[in-house]
Amino acid sequence: MNELFRRLRYLLHRRRFDRELANDLEFHREMAERASRPLGNALQLREQARDAWGWTWIDRLCQDLRYAARMLRKSPGFTAAAVLMLALGIGVNVAVFGFFDLLVLRPLNVRDPATLLRFHRRAPQNFAFALPYPEMAFFGEHSRTLSAVLALNTTKVAVEGEEKQVDANFVTANFFSELGATPRLGRLLDPVRDGAPDAAPVVVLDQGFWQRRFGGDPMAVGRTIRLNGKQATVIGVADSEFSGLSLNQSASWAPLTQQPYFAAGSRLLTDFGDSGGVRMWGRLRPGVAPKAAEQELQSLVAELRKRHPGEIWEKESLPSDPGGYAKSMMIGNRSGTGSESQNELYPVFAMVATLGLLILAVACGNLGSLLLARGVAREREIAIRVSVGAGKGRLIRQLFTESLLLALMGSLAGLAVGWAVLRSLMALTASPAWLNPTPDWRVALFALGIGFASAILFGLTPAMHSVRQRHRATIARQILVGAQVAASCVLLIVAALLGRALHHALSSNPGFAYQQVISIDPGLAGHGYSPARAQAYMDTLRERLCALPGVESVSLAVSPPLGRRAEIAGVDIDGRAVRVQINRVDPQFFQTMKIPLLRGRNLIRGEAHAVIVSESLARGAFPGQNPLGKKFFMDENDTIVGVAGSARLVKLEDSDSVEIYLPIASAEMPFASVLVRTSAAPEDVARSAAATARAVDPNTFPEMQLMKTEFRQKLRGAESSALAVSALGAIANLLACLGIVGVVAYAVSQRTREIGIRMALGARPAHILAVVLRRFSRPVAAGLLVGVAGAAALSGLMRGQLYGIGNLDAMAYAGAIGVFAITAVGAALWPARRALRVDPMRALRHE
Amino acid sequence: MPKTDMPSGALVLLILRVLRSGALHGYAIAQRIHVLSSEVLHVEEGSLYPALQKILLKGWVTAEWGISETNRKVRFYRLTPAGRKQLETELSEYGRVNQAIQSVLRTA
Repeated sequence: MNELFRRLRYLLHRRRFDRELANDLEFHREMAERASRPLGNALQLREQARDAWGWTWIDRLCQDLRYAARMLRKSPGFTAAAVLMLALGIGVNVAVFGFFDLLVLRPLNVRDPATLLRFHRRAPQNFAFALPYPEMAFFGEHSRTLSAVLALNTTKVAVEGEEKQVDANFVTANFFSELGATPRLGRLLDPVRDGAPDAAPVVVLDQGFWQRRFGGDPMAVGRTIRLNGKQATVIGVADSEFSGLSLNQSASWAPLTQQPYFAAGSRLLTDFGDSGGVRMWGRLRPGVAPKAAEQELQSLVAELRKRHPGEIWEKESLPSDPGGYAKSMMIGNRSGTGSESQNELYPVFAMVATLGLLILAVACGNLGSLLLARGVAREREIAIRVSVGAGKGRLIRQLFTESLLLALMGSLAGLAVGWAVLRSLMALTASPAWLNPTPDWRVALFALGIGFASAILFGLTPAMHSVRQRHRATIARQILVGAQVAASCVLLIVAALLGRALHHALSSNPGFAYQQVISIDPGLAGHGYSPARAQAYMDTLRERLCALPGVESVSLAVSPPLGRRAEIAGVDIDGRAVRVQINRVDPQFFQTMKIPLLRGRNLIRGEAHAVIVSESLARGAFPGQNPLGKKFFMDENDTIVGVAGSARLVKLEDSDSVEIYLPIASAEMPFASVLVRTSAAPEDVARSAAATARAVDPNTFPEMQLMKTEFRQKLRGAESSALAVSALGAIANLLACLGIVGVVAYAVSQRTREIGIRMALGARPAHILAVVLRRFSRPVAAGLLVGVAGAAALSGLMRGQLYGIGNLDAMAYAGAIGVFAITAVGAALWPARRALRVDPMRALRHE
Repeated sequence: MPKTDMPSGALVLLILRVLRSGALHGYAIAQRIHVLSSEVLHVEEGSLYPALQKILLKGWVTAEWGISETNRKVRFYRLTPAGRKQLETELSEYGRVNQAIQSVLRTA
């Protein structure tokens, strides 16, 4: 410790200590001369002694940096090109990492995010990410490891004057105070005033909604607003920086205890069953480990099960995730049987990160070629430095310092590029305001780290080649060209696949006809409808809808196609875990969605234990057999009565999806949506259909959607990813072409004499071109091969996102390779033309 | 005069030892070692000054300004308590190793 301190003192007062050392040596010299023993080289002695301080490397580094800066300033064109390339390559990766950082690494802007836990339910056969309200309340009352329990429920409500229904969040009264939120205006919910069940109905508005609806008027606080027709007083506006622990942009927050007031008839607070439930977070008491809280909740839930054996699952546990990160919000409200589905976030990130790294690889390859060419141009300089006694290590270090300086500039520029990319992407996708794309220290560190790694990639080999004076660094160049070709091929192929998939999705039939269908979700369960009342409601609604002009058929479904709700069962087919999409429908469904019945019969209204499987499921589960009459393994009593055409109702993008259809049981009737097929354009019928639905029960607020609008929305993500990857592919292709232009041009200039001799001896132009280009055909071909193989491997990750296009789709591969080949040949021929214009006489005289 | 190479660890030990009796400047350190070793050991400037810098860094000696016998301003090196302790440990270590070597040489 002390020694380090003294070392630092030597660094800070280097000049003084150096003077003192010089004085010592000068005295030594004087004394030695008296004894007539001359001293050696005093300067060298001083340097040797100074080495003991351990700071020589700083002096050398400063020297190298100064020299590198001077060299880069002397060739501004090269420097600009290099920094631009690096900025692109690093920027793409910074954007990807920045997004990952936002979702996974950066704690949310809430008080003490480290002690916040998000809980979900799990049992050997079931899982759910929402808890029944009474279960949550039980934990809130009895837990000793948690100092507070927070809960949130999102319900769609109609606001007067708004065309669409909006999300309203209902939260426990401690929600804002526990998370340390501050109001933008007025006050937020607090446990004292708003916690009681009989408290006056109040809402806190979201800042965005307040600005949209009230034009940011401060007088909005204190006014009355109607949600679902029910009055409530606006008490304040929440700041847009407040995440609200949910990714959906809700319009308002109200106390959870008031949810039934707004959603007439809702049994959310009393029902253990499937009434949506609440998401639950817990705040750990100081010094308590998450494991301890999980154990306590597990024993509490076992106690609760004694009182509610039907509703609480056997062997139920409540695993927790860290709740202080945006990632914990992406879990959503999924529930299902069997094991939980794998987290889909990481494979997507892995895929995108790979594409980003490919861009960087192309940029580095390109820069490496440039540096090699520069190294040749600096041969004289290096030869002089070697001859005056510079060591190889020292020279490599000096050349590499130049690369490091470039990388540092590239990192800084890349940080800016990444920030701009992320910011514009988030603006395009209307991300919540509290997701702040400004880089934090992790992103900055990442940018510097990736810059350093690329400096090693693009700088080290050229530096070593230059110093060893190996003039023809041909192999290194060829490898660099091959690597660029491979990387840009992968990007182009992935882009082509996504483009093809998008085209296919738009032009082909996903197995069902959506253009002329309207879906209406009356949300009966949210209004506390009993199964019998729901049945009566649906019968009335169906009758009235059928009477409307332009309506062709009407059907019911619990999870309407392309909708948000999905029911999934994990089943085991021959040892493979298959996720089956469950659709609970009535017999008219197949006619309404135009899904063909291939074998067997339709479902019959009111029957139980009959299932229809999709053709894809039948093929997978009973290969080569007749599935009719077989038992289906989810329930021993279910018998397969029919086979329907494969239809990717929920996961449009996943060609591996399999479906089964079960008759709607009466208990599920309150959850059903109505699907209406129109004979003409659905827009014409939509208005009257909505009015009809509203009229059946004025207390409900049915939500209407044109299915083709939902289809567009589903494709929007695919559109933007195809666009983004195409842009990356184009950049990579451009960079690779620039690289090819560079190396071919260099090869031509190196071989001018040889070409001149060949021409003088009568070689034909085609022959000359072949001579120049032959050297590059092998690395390009090898790069193509590696690229195609890499794309084939990588695209396996995207199988489920390709809308039914195979990940080895020949058209996409051929198209991408074709585009690449044409541009690459163009890029090679352009500089190669110069070879044909070589004047033999001048070339020979040139010496 | 035969030139005897000295292991670098030994040089540090010798410097510390000759400084035990009082502060000396660099030239005097070299002279003292030369004389005391009956002119067998010769301390090169090229190893003396780096070694002195290293010892300074370790905090075993401090440097202070003084006046030489030729009436010139020069730095004198003085042993610190830490240096004294270091010298004791190095001396006993040296004695132990030396004894071990001697006993091998005698009996082998």
